[in-house]
Amino acid sequence: MEKKLWKGNEAVVEAAVRGGCNFFAGYPITPSTEALEYLSWRLPEVGGVFVQAENEIASINMVTGASVCGARALTATSGPGGSLKCEGLSYASRNAVPFVLLNVQRWGTGLGTLDSGQTDYFKETKGGGHGDYRNIVFAPASMQELVDMAYEAWDVAEKYRVVVTILSEAYLGQMMESVEMPEFKKPAERDWALDGTGKKGIGAYSRAIRGGDGTKVLGQTYETIKEEMQRWEEYGLEDADYVVVGFGLPGRISMEAVHKLREEGYKVGMIRPKLVWPYPVKAFEKVNPNVKGFISIESSDFGQMVEDVALAAKKTKRNAPVYLYAHGKGVPGVSTVAEFCKSVMNGEEKEVF
Amino acid sequence: MVKKLPEGLKSHQLCPGCGHGIILRLLDECFEELGIADNKIVALGVGCSCNANGILGGDDFQCAHGRAAAVATGMKLTRPNVCIVSYQGDGDAYVIGLNETLNAAYRNENITVITVNNANFAMTGGQMSWTTLPNQKTTTSVYGRNCDATGAPIHVPEIIANNFDVAYVARASVNDVKHINQAKKMIKEALTAQMNGEGYSLVEFLSGCPTNWHMTPAQANKHIEEAVIPEYPVGVFKERKAQ
Amino acid sequence: MKEIIFAGFGGQGVLTSGLVIAYTAARAGLNATWMPAYGPTMRGGKANCVIKISDDENETIGSPIMENADCLVAMNEPSLDYISFCKKGASIICNAAAVPKDHKFPEDAEVTFVDFPEVARKVNNEKGMNIVAAAYIIKKYNMFSDDFAIESMCKFWEEKGKANFNELNTAAMKAGFELV
Repeated sequence: MEKKLWKGNEAVVEAAVRGGCNFFAGYPITPSTEALEYLSWRLPEVGGVFVQAENEIASINMVTGASVCGARALTATSGPGGSLKCEGLSYASRNAVPFVLLNVQRWGTGLGTLDSGQTDYFKETKGGGHGDYRNIVFAPASMQELVDMAYEAWDVAEKYRVVVTILSEAYLGQMMESVEMPEFKKPAERDWALDGTGKKGIGAYSRAIRGGDGTKVLGQTYETIKEEMQRWEEYGLEDADYVVVGFGLPGRISMEAVHKLREEGYKVGMIRPKLVWPYPVKAFEKVNPNVKGFISIESSDFGQMVEDVALAAKKTKRNAPVYLYAHGKGVPGVSTVAEFCKSVMNGEEKEVF
Repeated sequence: MVKKLPEGLKSHQLCPGCGHGIILRLLDECFEELGIADNKIVALGVGCSCNANGILGGDDFQCAHGRAAAVATGMKLTRPNVCIVSYQGDGDAYVIGLNETLNAAYRNENITVITVNNANFAMTGGQMSWTTLPNQKTTTSVYGRNCDATGAPIHVPEIIANNFDVAYVARASVNDVKHINQAKKMIKEALTAQMNGEGYSLVEFLSGCPTNWHMTPAQANKHIEEAVIPEYPVGVFKERKAQ
Repeated sequence: MKEIIFAGFGGQGVLTSGLVIAYTAARAGLNATWMPAYGPTMRGGKANCVIKISDDENETIGSPIMENADCLVAMNEPSLDYISFCKKGASIICNAAAVPKDHKFPEDAEVTFVDFPEVARKVNNEKGMNIVAAAYIIKKYNMFSDDFAIESMCKFWEEKGKANFNELNTAAMKAGFELV
């Protein structure tokens, strides 16, 4: 297939369209706005629907209505807009509405900044809205992953009847990279979608079908997803003294750093989750049982994913300290990651778990 | 004459004397008489309108509080040939959801919004709403609503009819037979407007809330005639252009 | 892999210099990243981008950010700040019209001065100095054939709906090739 240079925010929505996305509602916010701009002309061109909504809350509710009626619906946002989406995520999860949310993360609390970051990890993987629910969360690290994940997102969302989040980052959205764009595909029949006849039920957990309050069915779904959807990239786990864990762009950069450290003779391995929910606990089963430490590299301020690293280590009985490098805004460079790892290996860092 | 109940209609658990029961029946009669009982989806608001869940028959969907107009927008754009109706209370559509309500009207979305105005937040036990009458006692205006502090009763149908290019806007009441008959015509006008692709339609219903008004059903109906209708006149504020 | 920084004032077209090369590399089947200076700073005086181009189809690109550049194209003096992101012995290509010759460069740097605006003026394409710079880099590293580079650039502008300047830009690119 032909490679072409694409900008992240445009590549991801073009791949979405080719994967069957035919409805978008959203509100402009940096650094995700190009997704909205691109779809404003692209969706009508392919017979889809584009709505510039009055705000983030309305847009996620429009997407809910569209999805309930069988559209492959998308909304996109960043930072503060993501907070406003949370109500909609909770309702969609309750009603098994399988839409897709693209979060092009910007760094920071409150208004934050336009800079890149990974400070929405908790929000996307631990709920965000009220209640107890999970979204499948893709964590792309390259343009090709961004494209492939957007292309697959509705297949997964509709299979399990859950919301899928694509957890992008400002830098990934703004940068350009060569990518192979897939061909258009025909989505599977959405025979559950409301069509006005009263004969369909949207909910795999709808009141009529689920019995009780549906919690049991939903819990089983989440367990199935945990079993089937763990994905990661790994390197040098079997003999690693230290294992670096990172996702998204910092994960990609860390992978380069880990290769460099190996060349220098350090026994370092790497786990890069491709999805951050479900978390790839299975990857940790492949880690050297005598591992001396895990190192979480992330663009958060106080550490977010590091908690899942610690839980995965505990679950797989890798009883080693867990260290954190929280880069804050932007992304760490290869040398920054490598130096922190050396500092851990020299016993100069204090573990957080 | 005993009129046959609409086929899909189920019994409800609303309070005695509440207007919702009559409005839901009227709605179902209109769906049936217009031949769209199996070609409609109702987006339900939160509040006492939640009680409509599953009782109209056919497709419905429980929305988040205040967001039904946005959900209905997404539904209509996905299923343009299906009649899409939102069913919301005044707290839902005019207070927490005022934004979604006005913006859907502003864009002239081809949907029908049914609102039930009972002048209070009934589901949560009778708090003040933007529609609460001046000096009306509620659990959050225990000495009577002081409009100097809270703002005055909101008239959303008039706001929409006077400011936006929409298809049909009316206010109805269900406190007596005359009004009920008039109300049914208004629903049909609104639904027909949508099915003809004329654009946004809204019908507000004045409903009694004997429980939270601390009245008998008969007193509540009388109160509507004497106090509520003078504040919220019944009538058509925007006639359909194409008749 | 080659890592190249293009830096200058906003309006000098340095983002496009990088884009043209990355676009051409992708067309050639190579892996390429283009990372712009991002955020409010891009609206101020400084503009820059860093591109990373794989040597062959199989080489993947790790970090896409500015870290260890082989080459810095500096269209103005403040751009020389980015020398700190260059590897030892990196090539520093300076715009002779805007960077003082007596600037104190690191001793190991391989410094070249090129009067990009003057070269562009000579082919009647004053705005095309970014194309001249892109061509200079393509030639310096022998990245693509002249014809493929020109064809790709023209396609790049066609996709942006700006094909009417292709003749002028082709002249600028050829002028850039001749500098090396």
